[in-house]
Order: sequence, then structure tokens, then C-alpha cells
Amino acid sequence: MAVSRAESVPAWQRGKVASWLVTTDHKRIGILYISTALVFFVLAGLMALVFRLQLSQANADVLSADRYNELITIHGTAMVFLVVVPLLAGFANYLVPLMIGAHDVAFPRLNALSYWLFFLGGAILMGSFFADGGAADTGWTAYPPLSTQATGNGQDLWILSLHVLTASSLAGAINFIVTIHNMRARGMTWMRMPLFVWSILLFAWLLMAILPTLSAGLTLLLLDRGVSIGPWDVQTNFFNPAEGGSPVLYQHAFWFFGHPEVYVIVLPAFGIISEVLPVFSRKPVFGYKAIAASTVAIGFFSMLVWAHHLFTVGLPISLQVFFMLASMIIAVPTGMKIFNWLATLWRGNLHFETPMLYALGFLSIFVIGGLTGIYLAAFPIDWQLHDSYFVVAHFHYTIFGGAMFAIFAGLFYWWPKMFGRLLDERLGKWQFWTLFVGFNLAFMPQHFAGLEGMPRRVYTYSNESWEGYNLASTIGSYVMGVAILLFVVNIWRARSGPRVGNDPWQADTLEWYTTSPPPPHNFDDVPYVTSARPLYDLRRKLRIERGGREPA
Amino acid sequence: MRRFSLAFAGIVLVAAIAAPSALAQFAPVTPESPNAEGIRQSYLFVSIFVAGIFVLVEGLLIAFIWKYRRRRRPRFEDGAPIHGATKLELAWTAFPVVVLFLVAAFVFIELPGIKDIPEATAGEEQLEVRVSGRQFYWQYEYPNGVIAVDTMRAPAGVPVRLEVTAPDSDVIHSWWIPPLGGKIDAIPGTVNQTWFEADTPGTYHGQCAELCGLEHANMLASVEVLSQPEFAAWLEERRAEQTAGSGELGAETWEGVCAKCHGLAGEGGIGPRIAGSLVLADPEALESLVRNGRRTMPAVGAGWTSEQVEALANYLKESPPSGS
Ligand SMILES: [Cu+2]
Ligand SMILES: [Cu+2]
Repeated sequence: MAVSRAESVPAWQRGKVASWLVTTDHKRIGILYISTALVFFVLAGLMALVFRLQLSQANADVLSADRYNELITIHGTAMVFLVVVPLLAGFANYLVPLMIGAHDVAFPRLNALSYWLFFLGGAILMGSFFADGGAADTGWTAYPPLSTQATGNGQDLWILSLHVLTASSLAGAINFIVTIHNMRARGMTWMRMPLFVWSILLFAWLLMAILPTLSAGLTLLLLDRGVSIGPWDVQTNFFNPAEGGSPVLYQHAFWFFGHPEVYVIVLPAFGIISEVLPVFSRKPVFGYKAIAASTVAIGFFSMLVWAHHLFTVGLPISLQVFFMLASMIIAVPTGMKIFNWLATLWRGNLHFETPMLYALGFLSIFVIGGLTGIYLAAFPIDWQLHDSYFVVAHFHYTIFGGAMFAIFAGLFYWWPKMFGRLLDERLGKWQFWTLFVGFNLAFMPQHFAGLEGMPRRVYTYSNESWEGYNLASTIGSYVMGVAILLFVVNIWRARSGPRVGNDPWQADTLEWYTTSPPPPHNFDDVPYVTSARPLYDLRRKLRIERGGREPA
Repeated sequence: MRRFSLAFAGIVLVAAIAAPSALAQFAPVTPESPNAEGIRQSYLFVSIFVAGIFVLVEGLLIAFIWKYRRRRRPRFEDGAPIHGATKLELAWTAFPVVVLFLVAAFVFIELPGIKDIPEATAGEEQLEVRVSGRQFYWQYEYPNGVIAVDTMRAPAGVPVRLEVTAPDSDVIHSWWIPPLGGKIDAIPGTVNQTWFEADTPGTYHGQCAELCGLEHANMLASVEVLSQPEFAAWLEERRAEQTAGSGELGAETWEGVCAKCHGLAGEGGIGPRIAGSLVLADPEALESLVRNGRRTMPAVGAGWTSEQVEALANYLKESPPSGS
């Protein structure tokens, strides 16, 4: 099968570079996604290092207000749309077909299109720095009227980039849904599906549900800014109060997308943790059904909480009460997951290779992000904390401390599957500890700055009592930079790292059944799946066949 | 391997001890108004549970990491299977429900004290001030037509009702003086309400909390709480000055409105240098410029009373910006 495919490929597509450019192999597309997103990660991280310098002391003079606003806008937009979501989409691309025993995704060419749209959207966003008037500078939320009044082309390119990225995500989401619904191995019922696949299923369904709202909001924003279609100049007033529009309408559209987007990010991170913890505890995950059910519950409730981002716009109290209660309800399935993971460790045989360190680091940090969310859900408290540095700290605890730590767990865990070689453990551990310390140093003090009245998105401040927090935060961000540098070194050195077999971690799921890296068609044969841990079952069968005792 | 798990346990342990004490210490700033007090109470109440859950989860995590580390067991030996923990699962589903119920209940108890403006007590009236957020200054309008910029004066011990808004041509800002309560957005086309009642005279600082453009960071606000007689005297004096086209309003307007972008001495900032500009000396040109804006300069004076324009023009005549 592999041979016939290779023969059918025209000569010009066989070159080292060309074969990547035209690939429709989900594994290569996954690697493209992950590597491109890591490049954007470094870029957006460097932006943060620059503006952290500006904030390191009161009245600093490193950046102009203009540049500062551009950097925070693109940093935020890129980290969400070009880094975290594509990294997870990369994992999904690489792993979902392997985990469900399929040969590829349902629509390989659509999959390639989705990657190239992502690449294009990213290039537009990064390129917008060179546009007339510079990049967008109205924050990653781009609230009108500020964003409709913004001059130059940066804001238009920002809208264009997000439109392209939305198309990319929709294509990806459709692909994952069709693949997961139709292409699972024989015997893999819903309740035998790896938890990571469950999380990607919800990730995809959520994207389908929320992206159209974002597209609509962005389109109205673009029309409000004015466009020329052929001979017609169109300029609408959806968000312009002078002509009867409502600026708050945009905020509803944005956050109807924006809040579930948090779970689009966090659910696959949960999925990664649910795969890594059991393998390094030598136990099945505790409460498989509860974790799967809580994934669905979180996905559903995440669509009912968006207006907790609008507690200060003057919503009627009854609505604020509704959105407070809905936001709090999400804490219940999230809490279930945390306790299930703790119970997975309970009585296990724990060892602390880098993926496990990251998974444990995720647990210890994500809890903090979850807990600070309770303050923000309680709307009178939010009136005090909203748009302050407390919020900045909160969402970095969930998105960096949560999702990025899980992503690093995933990178160290699946790297040997992707490349057949291990990443260096010593460097990995150094990186973990540097990142763990740097992260907490960078973001813990921001809670306190916010409580003392420091609003977010200020390019300068004169209140000297905020200086200590900000200096600590800046130092922490550079420590994080060192950690990322260690990771880059690790990747570089891994090209000649030790080779590994199919299943170096003795894991449970199907991707470890095939070779590392897997052949283009993934599997020569796929075993009949008899539980949620097919490889564990196989190993046990083998042991029994060889006359070994069945372990108690 | 061992070293790392030890270090991990150590760090999480330190965090677990430090965090709750930090939480108690780090709450919203000392309140000076009942609504800020109610918010702080709610914050502290939530903190009890937050600290408890934090210690519980991080504590279990450390304990398990310590207790179930591999030691001399074979690398791939299975951990002990766990069967039938339904009760446990029910418990940790019910536990957050109870906590959240308590938190919500406490919020409902505190809510009226936070959102409702107290009834005026006998002999006193509420004061109503219209607050308008504008790029990049705060404009206050008192019932008798007195205008102030950036610094609001208010009487001690009197409930002050704020009607917070922004002109149609402007962008969204957010009114926030932390010791005097939570924030409320100043949205073009909408009038939002908030209030405070400060008993202690003094100056309380805050700043705009919604990104509103280049000088968002410098859109500071303060409330100077005066004793009631002092406030009454200020309001009357200000009324008289304004009618005469003299007094502080001109200086306040220069500093709050013009200087944010053009510098205190007109030396230039994000806006061009304007010291020596002929427009400053020509009241008519000045009026048309501030009312209509020009190119990237917003119409900072749209909707100003002629008194305010006159005060600015008079101020610039008396003390033209030096340029350095
Ligand atoms: Cu949200
Ligand atoms: Cu502002």
C-alpha cells in the first residue's frame, strides 16, 4: 500500500521540501502545525519580553504608547489564535487517527487546506506590523468604537487574519468530527475512546458552534470601519451609538465566542493530562466515564457564561446573577476532573520523567487559575477586579499554566512517537523547573498589582507601590524565556537523541502500537479494541500466552 | 529522579503555606465607601474557601507524589487498582456545589449594600454628578452647572450618585476609584449608574480601566472628599468663577485635556508641539479646533459649554505654555 502510493507521486513532489509542501498526511500536517505554532510562540513570547521591559519600572521609556499597544494586541491575538489553538490542533492532527486506529483523517486535502489557511492567517497577522499605521493596537478583543475609529490598515488586517484563521479552524473541526464519528477501530465504542479523543471531539463541536458568531462580529466590525466593494462604499453603524448602534453588541458577539474559546483551549489540555497521568502512575485513569461526561458538560455550559466578561457594562442585575451562577456551575465538572486526576495518582507507581513533571506542574498551577475564577464569577467582586492585572494573572494561570504546561507534557510524551527519538530528560527537567519558577514569579505578583488598582493594558504607570510586583513579573518573564531557550536547545540536540521502540513508556493507547515514527499508512493491522486501554490488554494477553502469571 | 520529586514537593509545600496568608493580606484596597467595603467582605469570604481548597488540592498532590513515588519498585509495575469509589465521586461532586452555594448566598446577602444607593438621611440630599469619560480625561458636571476635569470634589458623608457615560463620538472608558467601589463602564450612548459615600476627607485615586487609546494609561481620576462646609464653599466659588470666565477650570482643562497629548508646557508628546501656536491665542480658532478636532486629534471639546471654552482661552491668554 505504501509502495503504490509512493509510485503514484509525481517526481517534483518527492523532494525533501516539496513533499512537505504538498503533503496530505495527517502526521506531517500535525508536525507542520506544531512547528509553525512554536515559531509563533517564540515571536509572541519575544513581544512579551519587550513590553515587560517597559513595565519593569514606573514611568519607563522603552516603548511608545503606540508600539506598546501594538505589541500587547498582537501578543494576545497570536498566543490564542496562532499558538495555543494550533498547537492543540497539531496534536489532534497527529494523534486522533493514530489513537482511533485510522489510516488518516476523513478529508486529508481539507486538512492540508486548514493548515495552509492557518499559515496564511499567521503571516497576515505578523505582517501587519509593516502595514500603514502599524499593527492593530486595540487589544486582542478589539472593542468598538475604539477599533472602528482606529486609523491605518492594522485593524483591517487583524480582522482579515482572524477571518482566515476562522476558516482554517472550521475546516479542521469538521475533519475531526467526521473522523472521530466514523473512523474508529473495530471495537472502539464511545466509552473505549481515549480521553484525548473525547476532548478533541468537544473541541471541534465547540469551534463549530462558536466560530460563526465571531465571524459575524468581525464582519460587522469591518463594515462599520467602511469597505469599498467595486463602485460602492459601504459604511455601516452596527456599533456606532451616534447612529443608533450599540458598541456592547460587539462585546456579546466576541465573548459568545471568546469564553468557549477558553475551553476550546483547555479541554484538549485536560485530554493530554488524562493520557499522561495514568501512564506515569501505572494505573488506569480514575473515573473514565466521569471525565468523559465532565468534558461534555464543560463544553455545554461554556456556551452559557459569556457575559461574565460584561459585568461592568451595566447589564441588569438579574442577568448578572444568571451569568454568575452559570459560571460557577462549570466549576463542578472542572473540580471533578481535578479530583479524578488526584485519584489517578493515588496508590500508583509514580515516576517523574519530564512529561509527568509537566502534568503535575499543570495540576498545581491550573488549580490556582480555577480558584481565582471564583472571585471573577462573583459579579460584585468582578466590578472591582475586572480589567485589572488580577484578570491578566488569572487567564495566564489558565492558559499558560494550564494549557501550555499540558502542551509541554504532550510534547515530551509524544515526541518519541513523532520522531523515534527521545528528548533529553536532563534538559527537559531543567526546563520544567525553570519554567515553573519563572511562570509563578511572572504571574503571581500580577494578582496583587491588580488588587491594588493597576488596570491592564497601560503602557506606563506612576504609582511606585506597583513597581515591586512589576519588576518581579518582568524577571519571571525572562526566566521563562530561558526555559524556552532550553527547549529549543533540546529540540536541536534531539536530532541525534537515543532511538526508541514503538512504546517507550509502556502506554495504553493505540498510537503506541505502531512504529515510531509510524509509516505513512499508520498501521499494517489494528487490533480489535476491547477496552479503553487496548495496549494494556495486549500486553496482558502476551504475558499470559508466554506462561507468565496474570498480575493481581 | 528522587531529587526532583523532593524539590517539587518542597516548592508546592512553600506555596501552600504562603498562599493563604498572602490571600488574607492581599485583598482589594482599604475601602472608604460602603460599596467597596461590601466587595471586600465578599472577597475575603470567598478567600476562606479558596485557601481551603488550595491547601486541600496542593496538599493531596504533594502527599501522593511523596507517598506513591516509585522507590525500588520495577519501572513498569502496575499501581494498585481502585474499585468501587462511587461514594468518593459523589462526595467530590457535591463538595464544590456546597461551596459555590455558600459563595453565591454570601454575594446575595452583600449585594444590596453594594449596588443600592443609600436613602438620603434627614436634612441631607444626595449629590448627583454626571461623569463623562473622554479621550483622555474625565469631565464632571454638577447639578448647578459647575464643570471639573479629572479631579472630582465631593462632600464627606453624603451619598454621591454618579451617572457615568461618554459622548457619542468617543470610545468606551471605565470609571474606577478602587477605595470607592467597583468599576462601571463609560459607554457612548449609555448612561450607567454607580455611587459612593466617603466618610473620611482625603484624596482617592483611580484611573480609566478600559483601553481607550494611546493615552489610556494617563487617564487618571481622583476624588477629593471635602468636609460638607468646605465642599459647599468650593461649589459656590467655582460657580461664581465660571460665570466670570476666570479661575481654576481653565487650568484644569489645559492640564487634563490638552496636556495629556501635547505636554504640560505644550512641548509635545504623542501630539505635536503646540507652544507658541497661534491657535492658542485666538479664541475663535481654539474653539473650532477643540469642538471639531482635526485629523488624528479627537474632538476633545465636543459638547463643552461656552464657559469652559472661555475658561481655557482665558487661561491660555494669562499663562501661555512655555514650550519647555
Ligand atoms: Cu470567560
Ligand atoms: Cu482608558
